[in-house]
Amino acid sequence: MNTRPLLTMKVKVARVLDVGAVPYGTRRIAPLDGGTFEGPRLRGTVLPGGSADWLLLRPDGVLELDLRATLQTDDGALISMKSFGLRHGPPAVIAALGRGETVDPSTYYFRTTPRFETAHPAYTFLNRLIAVAIGDRRAEGPIYTIHEVL
Amino acid sequence: MTAPINSRSLMVLRLATSPIEEIGSTPEGTLTIFPVTGGSFEGERLRGKVLSGGGDWVTVRSNGMMTLDLRIALETDDGSLIHMTFTGIRDDANGYFRTVPRFETAAPRYAFLNRLLAVGTAEIRPEGPVHLIEEIL
Repeated sequence: MNTRPLLTMKVKVARVLDVGAVPYGTRRIAPLDGGTFEGPRLRGTVLPGGSADWLLLRPDGVLELDLRATLQTDDGALISMKSFGLRHGPPAVIAALGRGETVDPSTYYFRTTPRFETAHPAYTFLNRLIAVAIGDRRAEGPIYTIHEVL
Repeated sequence: MTAPINSRSLMVLRLATSPIEEIGSTPEGTLTIFPVTGGSFEGERLRGKVLSGGGDWVTVRSNGMMTLDLRIALETDDGSLIHMTFTGIRDDANGYFRTVPRFETAAPRYAFLNRLLAVGTAEIRPEGPVHLIEEIL
């Protein structure tokens, strides 16, 4: 599979809302308190309103991630991003993440598949691509290294 | 610093479809359903047949690209059932046909499928669509 770097996105997680035990697992909602993104073809900020990650811890120990974020480029374009992902790993590593420790991202699986929508002519290439991201969970919020699938 | 994306082959999926069902113009675009009547899948870790009964819901969008929404059931050669879905993009103007498959199974032997993300590269061959699906490592 061929890929090329699309952007790196750093987001800040505000307080996490514990919804609790739902029929499919344990639901938490992590509203994003803004962030930044930067890549060869676009850069800007993550808007805090309406950006959050809906987390579902499944009974098999896999965390499902369902992120929606609104990106604003430095030239004013709005881009809607939706990304489904999975996070899992050895219990000790996941526990360290839970304590807010910085963990080598290669020691656990944190991958997402972002999709983008925009009306801005300069960025319509985003409407036409599939992407894959590697996540790096930090105490302040995840860093996503997002690659375009060529 | 940009970590590379590594992947490894998961399966080659070949689908057989019956005549399309043209739903037509909807608020989302032009919707066509491709019923899946069978097929096969093969990889190092799993192989078997595609069961009849699923389909791919394909919508032509206002920008000319197609979006795909497939759901099918796979049966491995040892009798396990795997529920497979994907969404994807087919953009013939750019020769781009990629999907993001997901799998669900209750079979312990194949539980690794529940825990991975994958990307498919597809092409339409005379015998039907062929998807080369890679696990994202």
